[in-house]
Amino acid sequence: MGYGRPVWSARATFAVVLGLWLASGAARAQDGGWRSAFELLASGPELGGSDIPRDVPKRRGSDASVVPPEVMARVLTEEGPRPVPTASAAESGPVVAPEAPEGGRVSEPRVRLTEDAPRPPFKPLPVAVAVVPGLLLHGLGAWAAGDPVTARGLFAAEATGLGLIAAGLVPIALTGASRKTIGPLYAVTLTGAGVFSLSMLANLYAVTSPAFDPGRVPDTLPPLELDLGYQYVHDASADYRNFFALGAVARLSKVRLQASARLAPEEGNALIRAGVAYRLWGAPERTLGLGDGTALDVEGVATYHRYPTEGFTLGGGEVSLKGRYAMERFGPRFAGAFVEGGVGLSAQAYSYPGRVEDDNLYGQLLYTFGYGVWLGRGGPLRGEAVLFYDHRKDGLVGGLRGRGGGMVGSFGLKGRVLLTERWGVAAEAQAGGALMGRLSLVYAVGGDT
Amino acid sequence: MSGTREGAVGAREAERALGGAGRGSARSRRVLGVMGLTAALLSTGCTRPGEDRAVRDTRVGQAEADALKVEVEGGLASVRTLASGTLELWGQAPVFTTRVTAGAEARTDWLFMVHNAMPDAVLDAVDAAGSPLDVVAMPDAHPTVKAWRVALRPGTEMRLTVAPPDWDARQPFRFAALADVQEALSKVGDIYAKLNEDPSLRFIFFAGDLTEFGTREQLEEFQQRLEADSRIPLYATLGNHETFTDDAREYQRLVGRGSQHFTFHGVHFSLVDSGSSTVDPLVEEALDGWLEEARDAVHVVAMHIPPLDPIGVRGGGFAVRNEAAGLVGKMARAGVDLTLYGHIHSYYSFSNAGIPAFISGGGGAIPERFDGVGRHFLAVDVDPSAGVRGVGLVRVD
Repeated sequence: MGYGRPVWSARATFAVVLGLWLASGAARAQDGGWRSAFELLASGPELGGSDIPRDVPKRRGSDASVVPPEVMARVLTEEGPRPVPTASAAESGPVVAPEAPEGGRVSEPRVRLTEDAPRPPFKPLPVAVAVVPGLLLHGLGAWAAGDPVTARGLFAAEATGLGLIAAGLVPIALTGASRKTIGPLYAVTLTGAGVFSLSMLANLYAVTSPAFDPGRVPDTLPPLELDLGYQYVHDASADYRNFFALGAVARLSKVRLQASARLAPEEGNALIRAGVAYRLWGAPERTLGLGDGTALDVEGVATYHRYPTEGFTLGGGEVSLKGRYAMERFGPRFAGAFVEGGVGLSAQAYSYPGRVEDDNLYGQLLYTFGYGVWLGRGGPLRGEAVLFYDHRKDGLVGGLRGRGGGMVGSFGLKGRVLLTERWGVAAEAQAGGALMGRLSLVYAVGGDT
Repeated sequence: MSGTREGAVGAREAERALGGAGRGSARSRRVLGVMGLTAALLSTGCTRPGEDRAVRDTRVGQAEADALKVEVEGGLASVRTLASGTLELWGQAPVFTTRVTAGAEARTDWLFMVHNAMPDAVLDAVDAAGSPLDVVAMPDAHPTVKAWRVALRPGTEMRLTVAPPDWDARQPFRFAALADVQEALSKVGDIYAKLNEDPSLRFIFFAGDLTEFGTREQLEEFQQRLEADSRIPLYATLGNHETFTDDAREYQRLVGRGSQHFTFHGVHFSLVDSGSSTVDPLVEEALDGWLEEARDAVHVVAMHIPPLDPIGVRGGGFAVRNEAAGLVGKMARAGVDLTLYGHIHSYYSFSNAGIPAFISGGGGAIPERFDGVGRHFLAVDVDPSAGVRGVGLVRVD
């Protein structure tokens, strides 16, 4: 397994933890049974555990690992044996796994309550209720499944979404979409639309999830992934159709570098994007399993897009804040799911060949939200799939053409999964002003091999 | 629509791609089924919302009844009535020609009425051989409503041209640009009163959103108020609000084409349907022809939704910016002199691909606040030999 560069403080931490593990004597735990000093420490609040007896019901929103991800990342990135007794408030009781037989990893980096807890049974009726009238009343599915707590949460989310939509749209109408206020008001409206949409999808997930074992946050992701594939674009206003799709993602602790290219050999259309993301909060992507997938990134991307047949070139940059929230924090029915969102701004300029000049800089509000699931359950197969909305109007898809005057962006479904340690696939379908489908082969370099 | 088939391809691709991840697993197949269905549903969105309108545009100005076949060249007028010896048109250009083919059984005495005509328009009626028909002008009910008694000749094809006498003289003139009346229809008379104060204005070039919902009643009210209050005609393209009722079918019946082109005093004018935040390929093909026709002339292009909103965060332009950039680049390369837009209820002066551009949505619809501009229109001075000489903002309130 390839890990990041060792850190001296991490080694010191590892040494202290190892010493406690080896030297500890037995002690009487609060919830009964004899436990080592390390076990007590690991299950205490200092390292994210809990002194609360395990039969006390879990507190909502408390199941995030409170071990600072960077600390545990350092522990994990040490070479050699790693006692990784990850603890969290959601994982009451001893969490130290038995010694690994072959000197490798001694425990799974994350032991989940949901794997041990009895899962709610699947019932068809709540699924039907979640559709009609649940698509309008978002808690009804969970309520029909006998889960009033989740139902209340979903109703509250729906009401919040509708409230935010009203809080954004009404002032937009009253101000005539004034140039001085439209940015924040638009963001509020889109946030409302996002919360409303995601609570609707969560309602469906809450009643369908008992039918399958939820996916897991990948323990690790490779330091480098390359992808190569084919992308089809149907845009009634453009000549291009067929693209080579190339991409690369490099994960360096808290930093993620990414680049992609879409090249249409017949028309010469070339879209090149390169960017960097910095993880402000949450476990680094290479060691996602240290957390529950909840994260916040700041991202910057530069874009170059050449349209030879349409006669112009676009260049620009963008900055956005992107977050992901593990839905398990919202309730146990949402294990394996997450919601994500992003907000940002871009500035773009167009250049035209010949004597045509345009020195305008066009801004754009970037806004995305999506509902996703983790794919895989701890083995080499790992990835995610997301149903999403993207507000951007540039790129090869753009926004939905319609009577609203370009107000709405595009909708899509994307998935990326490593099937083995080395190979995987990525696929995407998106509908906006154009229709787009992509299928790529993914090759992982480094990582768990 | 074409998008559905292509979207299904995308859905199949997505399904194939994800198929590798869950081979042999019933659970994975269920997931794939849901994802594939979702992708297919997403793909049913239409990528050409203006296609039907563009097709219907080609039928504007055509009618057949009472052994009479009527076709307005370029669709520059809509046929309001063709029955009982009356041919009634709503003009959409200062100059237009109607080809009339009378069957052997056709009556000879016809009332030819044109609404929304230039105040000084006259009728030139000739048969296929070029010999003039007998024409008697009727008194004007309104400055922009013209009527003539015409003696048609059964069994022949005739051409009826309505135009001001000096229409083809290359000379400077002034016109008004306006858009977005919508729910302020009851107050639009204020704007016409202000327009009437300037006798040099020849017509109003209107960039869409005449009414709030584009219903027959609203469009008829718009036309009645125009005839009653305005001294000059109004040549329009439709806006997205006209599409709210039956995809602008009422607009096409009562007003005319969403996209059209005419010339006046040597200056070319193109009205382009962008009411669905896009220009349909059929319309763009027509525009290509108009751009070529006007390559060496002064050319003014108007459409309702601007390709690019100068306030990009608002995104009030086209849904797909690539299309917008390609369109304005094409117009720039063809030497378009001026672009006029509506949709945004304020006044903006900017440039797109170097072409001077104005948004003038000052017809009275919910105004953009904090901009210091209320209801307004533009007065545009244009010279066929020198280009656009000036664009002035005229406040109404």
